[in-house]
Amino acid sequence: MTNASELFPQKRVTRLPGGYMGRILRVNLTTGSTKDENLPEEPLLRRFLGGQALATYILLGELPLQAKPYGTESKVVMMTGPITGTGFTPGGTKVTAVYLSPLTNYSLGRGASSGFWAVYLKAAGYDGIIIEGAAAKPTYLFINDGKAEFRDASRVWGKGARETEDLLKQEVGIKDAKVMCIGPAGEHLVHGAMLVNDYNNNAAHSGGAVFGSKKLKAIVVYGTARPRIHDRDKLIDAGQRWRKTLDVYSVDHRKSVGYARQLEALPNLNFRSTLIADHSRGFDQNRVVQRPCFQCARLCPWHVEIGEGPFRGKIGHFNGGAEWMDTFWNLGVKGNATLYLAERINDLGIECSHFAFGAGVMFEAWEKGLLGPEDTDGLRLEWGNVEVIDRLLDMAARREGKWGNLLAEGPVEVAQAIGGDAPKWIVHTKKGTPAMHDWRPHFGQMLRELVASGGMKPQGGGTANPPPDLKYREQWGPLDRDDPAGWPWSNVLAEQYRQFCGLTGGCWFAQMHLKPDGLNSIVDSLNATTGWNFTLDEGLVAGHRSVILQSIFGTQRGWIADHDWQNVGPRFLEPVPDGKYKGFTIAKWLPEMVYEYYRLSGRHEKSGRPFMDTLSRLGLEEFKEWAQRD
Amino acid sequence: MSEKYGSLIPTGRLLDGKPRTILFDASKCIGCRQCVHACKDWHDHPRTSVYELSSTNWITMEPPVLEGLSPLWGRNSCMHCEFPMCAAVCPVEAITKYEEGPVVISQEICIGCEYCIYACPWGVITKNDLTHKAAKCTMCSDRVSEDKNPFCVQACPVGALDFGLAEAISAKARKGAEENGGYLYGDKEAGGTQLLYVLKEKKGDYGVRPVGLERYPQHKIPLGLMLKDLFTLRCGFAGKIRALYLAVIHPKRLIYRYWPWRGVA
Ligand code: SF4
Ligand code: SF4
Ligand code: SF4
Repeated sequence: MTNASELFPQKRVTRLPGGYMGRILRVNLTTGSTKDENLPEEPLLRRFLGGQALATYILLGELPLQAKPYGTESKVVMMTGPITGTGFTPGGTKVTAVYLSPLTNYSLGRGASSGFWAVYLKAAGYDGIIIEGAAAKPTYLFINDGKAEFRDASRVWGKGARETEDLLKQEVGIKDAKVMCIGPAGEHLVHGAMLVNDYNNNAAHSGGAVFGSKKLKAIVVYGTARPRIHDRDKLIDAGQRWRKTLDVYSVDHRKSVGYARQLEALPNLNFRSTLIADHSRGFDQNRVVQRPCFQCARLCPWHVEIGEGPFRGKIGHFNGGAEWMDTFWNLGVKGNATLYLAERINDLGIECSHFAFGAGVMFEAWEKGLLGPEDTDGLRLEWGNVEVIDRLLDMAARREGKWGNLLAEGPVEVAQAIGGDAPKWIVHTKKGTPAMHDWRPHFGQMLRELVASGGMKPQGGGTANPPPDLKYREQWGPLDRDDPAGWPWSNVLAEQYRQFCGLTGGCWFAQMHLKPDGLNSIVDSLNATTGWNFTLDEGLVAGHRSVILQSIFGTQRGWIADHDWQNVGPRFLEPVPDGKYKGFTIAKWLPEMVYEYYRLSGRHEKSGRPFMDTLSRLGLEEFKEWAQRD
Repeated sequence: MSEKYGSLIPTGRLLDGKPRTILFDASKCIGCRQCVHACKDWHDHPRTSVYELSSTNWITMEPPVLEGLSPLWGRNSCMHCEFPMCAAVCPVEAITKYEEGPVVISQEICIGCEYCIYACPWGVITKNDLTHKAAKCTMCSDRVSEDKNPFCVQACPVGALDFGLAEAISAKARKGAEENGGYLYGDKEAGGTQLLYVLKEKKGDYGVRPVGLERYPQHKIPLGLMLKDLFTLRCGFAGKIRALYLAVIHPKRLIYRYWPWRGVA
């Protein structure tokens, strides 16, 4: 493994490819120091590109093996990619943060976010940030046109994400500044705390808690620089092609139950029913305004002004998915109260599923008589009780009382505290919680959730047909949703091209692999930006490399592939309780499906360690000590 | 063109001489400012503030609040007047009205006298702090001359912007206004412009100015500024010579510049 001084050259000897700003900011909160590092040399950049892979590679080199997620030795590495902020591609909006996950204590935590923040980090002159140490007092980092300084955050400590954003913009006196911050949940080390930026965007999966452990409330960025582009005309052309592939969200979609409709399953009463009923009642009276990320025409983020009922006039800021709605539907809430609560959870900065599955177990325990008012300080945990849920959100975000503290810990701890059968009702993977949807009716999505790093939003989700752009090499016909054959390979591939998209600095929600040109336009965007000559195949290899780095990080800290199917909340593996896919479960095919996935991705099926020839193929020989030996 | 302008302003042709118009349909606009960033991207401007017009930010979306947070949005950029006051007052003829629509300030010729900044009824010209020259939206004349649409137009993710031959756009705008009970803005203001807005609520709600209907509208260039430009080093010696020379060969063009009731304040 290259050490830091070799990785970040004093003086670059190779060309800085287009798209990059050329610098990484290293900040140490303990000492209050900041330092500019030169970006690695071109060959290394071409290997890891940016985003998760480059960030993980840096983290692997710098994070001690015995580091604790919240220890001062813990680090967060945040990276954009070359197409982030170029302006000519629809999805060039991404920043990815990696760290040791406090949910699993042994796997890679990753939070990725879009919006505007990443664009302005580059405008401020940096491709990424390495965050070290821990501050003694609440602090925020202000990066203004190439200059970084720490500032006192006591004024915003304790405040929600929205207010923090507004106040910090005022405080730095720059209206165009962009804020990434944590809410109270991050401050109180709620293990599932998020990073929140630009109102509508969240980087979930614990990054907020790690920020909190460092007393880092926010990073405010502003600058006016733009990355140099290798071939602007070609980039404009590739970006416009990419844009044509986008599946544009409509306003009407925001007045429906959203993603549950595509999945044909909506989480009800702690994953005990999947039926879609009148959940979105009243949504038709809301005023919805789409608020796209920087230069992206997919129109994921949206604002809502609730138009009826007790929450009339309340405002909410959301992004593409519908995790926040599924969260409260899972607790029996319907109608616009869902959106009200969804705004609250985002403002507090708690990852939806972390709360949804913890509270879900509590509510189920109440229903089944395992918990009563004497256990809950009088809180009546009745399904759909908006007031109680509202209260629990505050308690969880600030670790108030016994239950607030347990919710902050996670669903496993909640269930253990309740005892009895409660541990059977949990949904989790390796103690992290999957993205908040009911994925159970679907092979591709379930497999991807299981093999993810644990509570980290994974990036597979194989498709029934090969993406049109891969038809030249992939032959499978429609995969059968009742037959596991083919799904692991589909997932391996999906993970690779999604990872690749992220490494370029592109948003994988804007990556439309099912449309012709959906992948090639991204490859061409990368090439036009950087001056490289990637093929799609090489792009997939880069994605694969990133997946392997992620798993090496786990291997180093005690993760094995068997945990993927063994350490899973039982409810997640129960057969679909009702609806169109009643009775379906991936459990029938475990562990074989997980094993096959690992074999196909060049790793040992039980240990998850990469084989030596996988490492050689990916140019990762330097990690040979973590390879599978036989 | 010369009949229309009676040689009051410099004119030119980029492509085929057919007038074109940008359409802004406020009922569709979501205030995302992708047009604003697209303009910066095309013209390679730094990411300076999107909230105010500057030499590196040629459009603003009003009101100046965070994207998505206002129910109504108005576009604020050069209207590409049919009778551009900015061009009429320019002493060095740095501003040209092209037949296809664009009103363009030549950065080479501009001497930074600021007359146009005062003359523009929409107040959309700003001065570049470094070069001291006037700058504004060009209607992407470089793209128009290649028969492409302005970059902001192609960027709009919801089709609130459109571009095309003037008659077609005007018909579309009329139809849009009829359908949503709205009205047009820009078709008659200042004698007509090549930006057409479809609005529904009061003009002020979109942050657009109530400009009168007369051609080359009344404006106020401070007398002090004129005297300064004439008698100090400001604007350079070559600039003064050029202004003098043009005043002699195009005396008619002085009418909106120095005629007391039409220009000088
Ligand atoms: S709006 Fe102003 S700058 Fe634009 S053409 Fe008219 S007078 Fe000139
Ligand atoms: S027409 Fe061209 S110069 Fe004018 S605002 Fe649009 S992109 Fe900018
Ligand atoms: S890009 Fe379109 S929708 Fe967005 S602010 Fe501009 S005109 Fe409005």
